[in-house]
Amino acid sequence: MSSWLDYTINGLIVGNVYALVAVGLALIFGVSRLINFAQGSIYLVGAYIGWVAVVQLHTPLPLTIIVVAVAAAIVGLIIERFGLRPLQNSVRIAPLLATIGISFVLDQLVMLTFSPNPRALPSQLPDVRFQVGGGTIGPLDLLIAGVGLTSALLLFVFLRYSKLGWAVRAASQDRDAAMQMGVDVNRVNQAVFGIAAALGGVSGMLVGMYYNQIDTAMSLQATLKGVVAEVVGGAGNVPGAVIGSLLLGLVESYGVAVFGTSYRNLFAFLLLVVVLVLRPNGLFASARQAPPEPLTGTFIAPSRPVRIPRWALAVASAGFAVLPLFPVSFYVLQTLINAWLLGMLALSLTLVAGTIGQVSLGHAALLAIGAYTSALLSLALNVPVGLAVIGGGLMSAALGTLLISPSFRLRGHYVSIATLAIGEIVSLVILNWESVTRGPIGISGIPPLSLFGYDLISPTSIYWFSFAVMVVLALLQGRLLDSHLGRSFRAIRDDDVAARAYGLSLNRYKSLAFIFGGFAAGISGGIAAHLYSYINHETFNTQQSILALTVVILGGLGNVVGAMLGAVALVGLPEVFRIAAEYRILIYGIVLLLLVRFRPQGLLGTM
Amino acid sequence: MSNIDRRTLVKGSFAAMMAGAAFSRGAFADTSEPILLGVSGPLTGPNAQYGTQWKQGFDLALDEIMAAGGINGRKLAYQFEDSQSDPRQSVAIAQKFVSNPAIVLELGDFSSPASMAASPIYQRGGLVQFGFTNSHPDFTKGGDFMWSTSVSQADEQPLLAAYAVKRLGLKKLAVLHLNTDWGRTSRDYFVKAAKEYGAEIAVTEGYIAEERDFRSTLVRVRDANPDGLILISYYSDGALIARQARQVGLKQVMCAASSVYSPKFIELGGEAVEDVHVGTRYFPEDTRPEVQKFIAGFKKKYNGQEPDAFNAYAYDAMNMAAAVVKIGGTDRKAIRDAFTKVKDVPSVIFGTATFDVATRRVKGAMNAELVVRKGQFALWDGKPT
Repeated sequence: MSSWLDYTINGLIVGNVYALVAVGLALIFGVSRLINFAQGSIYLVGAYIGWVAVVQLHTPLPLTIIVVAVAAAIVGLIIERFGLRPLQNSVRIAPLLATIGISFVLDQLVMLTFSPNPRALPSQLPDVRFQVGGGTIGPLDLLIAGVGLTSALLLFVFLRYSKLGWAVRAASQDRDAAMQMGVDVNRVNQAVFGIAAALGGVSGMLVGMYYNQIDTAMSLQATLKGVVAEVVGGAGNVPGAVIGSLLLGLVESYGVAVFGTSYRNLFAFLLLVVVLVLRPNGLFASARQAPPEPLTGTFIAPSRPVRIPRWALAVASAGFAVLPLFPVSFYVLQTLINAWLLGMLALSLTLVAGTIGQVSLGHAALLAIGAYTSALLSLALNVPVGLAVIGGGLMSAALGTLLISPSFRLRGHYVSIATLAIGEIVSLVILNWESVTRGPIGISGIPPLSLFGYDLISPTSIYWFSFAVMVVLALLQGRLLDSHLGRSFRAIRDDDVAARAYGLSLNRYKSLAFIFGGFAAGISGGIAAHLYSYINHETFNTQQSILALTVVILGGLGNVVGAMLGAVALVGLPEVFRIAAEYRILIYGIVLLLLVRFRPQGLLGTM
Repeated sequence: MSNIDRRTLVKGSFAAMMAGAAFSRGAFADTSEPILLGVSGPLTGPNAQYGTQWKQGFDLALDEIMAAGGINGRKLAYQFEDSQSDPRQSVAIAQKFVSNPAIVLELGDFSSPASMAASPIYQRGGLVQFGFTNSHPDFTKGGDFMWSTSVSQADEQPLLAAYAVKRLGLKKLAVLHLNTDWGRTSRDYFVKAAKEYGAEIAVTEGYIAEERDFRSTLVRVRDANPDGLILISYYSDGALIARQARQVGLKQVMCAASSVYSPKFIELGGEAVEDVHVGTRYFPEDTRPEVQKFIAGFKKKYNGQEPDAFNAYAYDAMNMAAAVVKIGGTDRKAIRDAFTKVKDVPSVIFGTATFDVATRRVKGAMNAELVVRKGQFALWDGKPT
């Protein structure tokens, strides 16, 4: 019995830590309807500024907090002014991509300045421990709880009773109306980003002190858990974010208690999916509350796509097809093979995200399903590799659609968050379902690609094979988009109420899109498995999902040619920047930001 | 990268990318050109810290190799390509190295997914993939061009189990392990050995690499009532576990795998890692000449910094590569054959390293039983903690 008290306390302690990030995310979401993927990076920056203050400058704690808050707020203001404000009149998805680019840049800057080695960030509070249950808590636990609760309370009062707070709420309800009423929306945004960043920075520092450890990998994890907590509490709801965080902490702790440590995150993400399905506005939304996403699909604004004449496409395809006949190195071919595999994934995602408007952040899960299915079919059942890859595609289509179907009733950002969670769940199931997937040991000795009894081993033959598969999938998808199905998909994306009024069954069309998309992604994963010969639960990770979304947005949502172009660009750029060694991801992030800034609708435009 | 002129490298990379015919054929026969090794490893991304530790170990070894006259009068250098431990990038790097005739041998990658995805390319391309941190039992099964000096966990874990069970007298153990291919393999070997020595395994808990909160895990451990905790961890997560174990009121003896052996473990763990036992392959006061040379040289080169386990792996790997290239010359196939011939190479980890030709691994890692005392790793004096 006493153990349950301990599990409860431990859940609340870690929930406390999540709350610090979740409050900042909630604040920004409340105003700009934006999941700020850079929030974790600000948290990272805050931790390292705290390290400089404590270890190098020996500042006392109150001064450290002020220094970190001010410095982080300045970073937040810079992000708002130069990263996001120029995008406020462009498609709603552009700022999302911008925050991903900003987080690359900030993480890399910290890594280059401070080296990737973890550092100790000593706590400046006296080392006294209070006995609670079987364990102890320290003053830092209380300080973190204090900062979390006080900031949530202060923000609540600020939003409810101050004039600027009213302006913030007005801007979040209807930006245009607020502007007509004389609210300076830019100043509101500035205030919000400044406050959220200050909070994020201080959180990073406090959490660093709590664990006596800071490193550059802490940013993505902080964002992930923060997003989960925030959405559980109701996106944009500041006090809800705190309660959501505590609940998340408790669920994780009880999950560990009952099933063991390796199931921990599984419960976190299951909680998220269940909450989203049952109460899409979060646990604490009132029934009267207006839906947090617009009724119609302004998430993806149409733009005029760049029309590429058929002959140009034919010439380009022919060019790529005959490329191996010229003396190009295998390195170039291998890089392009990677691009074609990513291209297939992007085709899949551009269909579900761009054409029908379900922006998925868990697409790597489809790769993983395809890869494991194909690997296991060929290894355990001796199915010929060619058929096994198709089997992977079919399994990915079926299982992927089934898994994603609970999120069909969601809109906008909520789809992204639900798919993010589903992606994580798939990866954790692969890790834990050892009798089938061999868990963390992974599957080795996967046979190479082969077709009709001929092994495809040379880079040239793999190149032709993957290119041909991608082109066939692209042609099929092009046909699909030109058919009545394509029109129905776009109708659902642009206005699902109107589409339903015309008698379109939303779920059926969304399923169709995911079946087709799942197949393409599964094929890509299957080919990758046979190419690598070894896969485990880490091979297809969250970064892959984010990369795929970046490709799709860069190419132009729903744009088939854009998806392939984006894949070549995003596989090629980091390779081209290899000469810059450690700086290459930084440069990649900056290039990405510039592209979003000047082509927010994507290189080839939304179809 | 510090060992080759950046401009040559830039030109080389451009040429390789644009035309593929990288280094001109005349150039690499020239004995004034360095013999080039390819390194595929993480310099950015979540594992970046390990790539930077590799570089420190490589650079120290190269300094010593040059001071001793290089490889039969020629220089040795490496070209480090950042893979972010991502299989997609490691396969491209593999093609790049295989198609560059100047590269005679490849080192890395760090993680199993990145390394083993590239293995088929190295095997078919006939370039040795020398994976010195690849403990995955299937790594060297990728083909006869895959060689590894990574300590096999089948060797290491029984040593740790002997330390915990036979020497420290622990009877009921809780095992916390990283839930990766390395941690999982290690756990299985440890559990098997510990049971053979007569200990009981009370509970095993696997955690993911990004985990930072272990308090609930440790309550589970506490309820299983063990008399000792075994940490199959890296130094950063090991330090976190030790700190939080004290917070939830666990006072049991802790015994950790050699991968926590790093000054960072003490820096990050603070007082909580005091009295933690660590089975390692070498220790600062080790009288073996190769160890003393390594530690003294490392401290001198890096402003008094203490080397850690990953520095030592990289240092050993570069020395092994040099020994192999001395025998095999610059022909890739001859280099592979040289791995079967090379004997008794001085090594921090193994004392002297000789490959077992059947498994393409090295057996017989050294063993030292250390304990953290007053914020320092010290040889365990046999006294109970």
